[in-house]
Amino acid sequence: MRAVAVYKWSRATASALVRQDGEVDWGSAKMAAGDDDPAVLTIAKELAGADGSVVGLTIGDGETAWALARGLDTAYAAPQVGPSPDNAATARALAQAVDQIGEVDVVVIADAVAHPGVAAALAAVLGWPVLLGVNSAEAAGGRVNARRRVGNAVETLSLPTPLVLGAVAVGEEAKPPGMMEMIKARKKPVTELAVAPPEAGVAARGTRRPDRQGARLFDGSADEAAASLVAALRGDGLL
Amino acid sequence: MSETPEVDFDVIVIGAGVAGCVSAHELAKAGRSVLLVERGPEPGAKNLSGGVFYCRVMEQVFPSFADAAPVERVITRNCLSFLNRSSFVNLDYADERLAEPVNAVSVLRARLDAWLAEQCEQAGVMLMAGIKVDRLLVEDGRVMGIGAGEDELRCHVVVAADGVNSFISRDAGFRAKDPPNHLAVGVKSVIGLDRGVLEDRFNLEGDQGAAYAVVGDCTKGVGGGGFMYTNRESVSIGVVLRLDDLARSGHSAAGLHDHFVDHRFIAPFLKGGELLEYGAHLVAEGGQAMVRDLVRPGLVVVGEAAGLALNTGLTVRGMDLAAGSALAAAEAVEAALAAGDCSAASLDRYRRNLAASFVGRDMATYRRAPAFLEGRRMFNDYGPLLADVFHGLYDLDLKPRRHLLKTAREALKAAPVGLTDLMADGWKALRAL
Repeated sequence: MRAVAVYKWSRATASALVRQDGEVDWGSAKMAAGDDDPAVLTIAKELAGADGSVVGLTIGDGETAWALARGLDTAYAAPQVGPSPDNAATARALAQAVDQIGEVDVVVIADAVAHPGVAAALAAVLGWPVLLGVNSAEAAGGRVNARRRVGNAVETLSLPTPLVLGAVAVGEEAKPPGMMEMIKARKKPVTELAVAPPEAGVAARGTRRPDRQGARLFDGSADEAAASLVAALRGDGLL
Repeated sequence: MSETPEVDFDVIVIGAGVAGCVSAHELAKAGRSVLLVERGPEPGAKNLSGGVFYCRVMEQVFPSFADAAPVERVITRNCLSFLNRSSFVNLDYADERLAEPVNAVSVLRARLDAWLAEQCEQAGVMLMAGIKVDRLLVEDGRVMGIGAGEDELRCHVVVAADGVNSFISRDAGFRAKDPPNHLAVGVKSVIGLDRGVLEDRFNLEGDQGAAYAVVGDCTKGVGGGGFMYTNRESVSIGVVLRLDDLARSGHSAAGLHDHFVDHRFIAPFLKGGELLEYGAHLVAEGGQAMVRDLVRPGLVVVGEAAGLALNTGLTVRGMDLAAGSALAAAEAVEAALAAGDCSAASLDRYRRNLAASFVGRDMATYRRAPAFLEGRRMFNDYGPLLADVFHGLYDLDLKPRRHLLKTAREALKAAPVGLTDLMADGWKALRAL
């Protein structure tokens, strides 16, 4: 099975500044691997198994060695395309790149909280089925068995290929790469894809800060503050 | 000339703050292969919000630094404030000359450090973030590289720029644990304010900014002080508390921070603001006395890791000293590499460069400042005394007016400070500052 692991396709949200008028200033926020990207790689590797292959795919102007330092030997990059506020435009750009990579069985991409809908939109553009919230997967007889949490249960679904999986991490990255792996990764070749930046279908006409729920502080000694907190929770019907 | 061992890089710099980035940038610009290792997931990620950067030195590294770098505001107004329970005396100095050329800027380190690291990469530095260097590789007393987990990398020179705690310096035997009177804890909040409101409250125009240095009731008499400076759309405010005095006082650092922020003369600056960040950070306060060895065979230490920080009571400096030390170190390391000799004697050029630079000279000039600032009268007595003098001048209570000197003498008589104390402290201040 040939899998594409899509990584580092958005900017670091923690580096963005929200101005007082609500404008989001991305400033020096770089392209960054998302919290779910390590899970993307793990799932793609599980699917490929010993007989298959995984290639990485990234967009934007970021450093590309992230996936190569985590065991991939091949990566593609579309540096002309940056993340768009229009999630569908980002998905169209990724779909163009997937098309150029050639024959692919599965595309694994983060089902990212900060960018909801990209995984589903990518599947729609490719015309493939999609499963979101996936925690793990493996190939089985030309199909994909994917698992995800549903409430307290774990659901396993058997899916045909080609398809898109939206991955969700269940924990921290188990073993981040060391210095040597990072240095070797930067020496591995990255193939650049010529992907035309798709036109964004949404444009901001104004900004405002979201309404905020003010914090409530409880003064006094620790016992008094705890008692006030409990009283407030009871008052709000939460206890 | 000594042997030239096989290496992965000419230089490995530990820490992508101001000192680390400037060192790495200058050495890469000189054509050296440089690895810049940062512990945080991104450069700037580990830094607590920001500070006032006396940035003239950066023009030597990045021409038009103040225009090109992501700075918040150009500081053109400095206030030295004596804060008392019911009075507030300010020496307010605003000067357009401080904007041309730019003298100081407020910065948010998450943005500045990311920008600096980007300049390094453009100069050819290999940046590696998310790596915690846990040891130096030492052979026959010479530093040969770094180790992180199972991996080891070798180089001709390691530049330790890993901040005030510098475990690398301690491992190398440079620094024992610093005594508590050499260290302070800084507790800081960043309060978001509408830009127009902020500029009105601090009497600012455009990108101009203000910085306050505060002593007195902001720390309830604990050695240290308060600070407040303006960013583009926020105010950074907090206290710096000498550890030994804080421990003696029985106060908590967080409690004193809250006391300052809620103080009746400070709270109006922040009214309606939104808390954006809150955190604490260890600060070097020992001045010249904290500066230890700077060089070992194959190793130099720069910035706060070398103890380079200055609190004169008027200015709190660290980033400019970091940049200055990095320039001094980079020149010496480049000379050592060119000579093929990275011994302590060869790298000692860094110590001489530093001593001759503004960094070494300023550290020497202000060597008495820490001892002067340890005097309790600075924090407890002079603020109320000044307020009493001004009260005597402005409180027109229908009694006949007296000359300033007489008014001051009356205030002094009522204060716990004697004339001898005043003269002694004045003399100390003149010598220290």
